[in-house]
Amino acid sequence: MSAPENVKISVQRFSVYHNREDALRDITLEIPSNRILGIIGPAGSGKTTFLRALNRLNDLVPDMHAEGKMLLDGQDIYHPSFDVVALRKRVGMLFALPVALPMSIYENVVYGPRLSGIRQRARLDEIVERSLQAAFLWDEVKDRLQMSGLRLSGGQQQRLCLARVLAMEELEVILLDEPCSGLDPISTAKIEEALTVLKNKYTIVLVTNNTKQAARVADDTAFFLMGNLIETGLTEKIFTVPDDKRTNEYVTGRFG
Amino acid sequence: MRIPPKITQAFAVSLLGFATLLTVVVLLFIIVFVLGKGLPGVTWEFLATNPKDMGKAGGILPTLVGTVLLPVMAIAIALPLGVGTSVYLTEYTRETRLTRALRFGTDCLAGIPSIIFGLFGFIFFVVMLKMGWCLLSGALTLAIMVLPTIIRTSEEAIRAVPNAYREVSFALGATRWETVLKVVLPNALPGIVTGVVLGIGRSIGETAAVIFTAGSALRMPMTAFDSVRTMSVHFYILAREGISNQNAYATAAVLIISVLLINLLSYSMMHRFIAKRSR
Repeated sequence: MSAPENVKISVQRFSVYHNREDALRDITLEIPSNRILGIIGPAGSGKTTFLRALNRLNDLVPDMHAEGKMLLDGQDIYHPSFDVVALRKRVGMLFALPVALPMSIYENVVYGPRLSGIRQRARLDEIVERSLQAAFLWDEVKDRLQMSGLRLSGGQQQRLCLARVLAMEELEVILLDEPCSGLDPISTAKIEEALTVLKNKYTIVLVTNNTKQAARVADDTAFFLMGNLIETGLTEKIFTVPDDKRTNEYVTGRFG
Repeated sequence: MRIPPKITQAFAVSLLGFATLLTVVVLLFIIVFVLGKGLPGVTWEFLATNPKDMGKAGGILPTLVGTVLLPVMAIAIALPLGVGTSVYLTEYTRETRLTRALRFGTDCLAGIPSIIFGLFGFIFFVVMLKMGWCLLSGALTLAIMVLPTIIRTSEEAIRAVPNAYREVSFALGATRWETVLKVVLPNALPGIVTGVVLGIGRSIGETAAVIFTAGSALRMPMTAFDSVRTMSVHFYILAREGISNQNAYATAAVLIISVLLINLLSYSMMHRFIAKRSR
């Protein structure tokens, strides 16, 4: 495995405060493009806060504010003139719990594209097929696209959510927040398979509570603890010869 | 000595059952009584002709029109204002002392007797704005009266929409407004419809506020500035002035049936909408 060449997101001295308490402390990290970065750490380590900072979803939380810089392709996404709505179309997110919107499978997938102003039926049809195929769901739902997304199983709903993210044509980065925490092993395998294909086109950041999952799919791994980034590096290194004692204890299951 | 649980249980069940029975019986009695006295007088001619002789003879066509127009206009005014207010309170502001004060204010408004709204409408719309007794004065007054109901029910409905839906929508690059339009309002619709039905119910049976503001003319209203008489005002006048008890009962029967029909219609529309979304 080669060392990362292109930096997609550069995080520089980034901190997040919630009600004056610091949720993230002085994080500096580079996320290379077309690779999967796994983020591991015990509950409360700030890994989800970090993920939600990457598409500025933390903006929705009252009394939360960020300091420092986050550069996406060299541009600071926290600069006052940066368009948040455009950012979220480039940086898509998959949540821990699958949330199909209460509308048809088709409408779920075209939610993003419609917001971007795509109206032509043929173009939308093409997006739906491409996205559902990329999320390994097409074969299961191609005959019932008008059925409500809520009637799918949990695993299918999560793949529908992935398809919904992939449907955005502006998409460059995919954020995943413990996307398999509620899923069966087969659905998990399908999501992981999709990710390894998708990294050819996108940059992927995967937060997971399952260290084995990070070891399986992540190219690089970052270990968070109590709002601090302890260490980051190639996945093999983190899981075999980490620099920090705490990292070693966590990945070998001795705490957390 | 302790009473065995079996006995307390039986006692509680029979007490609750009795309360339910009493409520239903009283309601049914009123409906059956009014329909029984009124229905014989309800003919096609009664519905479709103008009243004669102050309502002693003839039909109730203008009051039927008034009863439809007045609540429809009131809801048309109150719905956008009420839903707009509740969207603003829930989606665009944080919970502050001001929003709590606004909510307290609407709750107080909901409890004010309708005659107060009538008096206000009379002084403000009819006299001060020189609009006179007319459909529009009545509709505006009723709109103010049902506004608190619509705001509160819409607000509850909007709050009940899962926050996860909003997050998904934002994460897919929607603005707040797009999220409100595409996710929040469609999912809050059943609750909003409940508010509208309650509002229609309250305004269709309203007498005091209407008689003060829309007047009681028996002509067919042609514009929004014509005075109009609703069915409830009509049978109030018929009964009070001793014009015709038979026609008062017949009008009341028509009113009861209309209210039932409106409720059935709104709920079936709502169920069709929900069924369509979860198919």
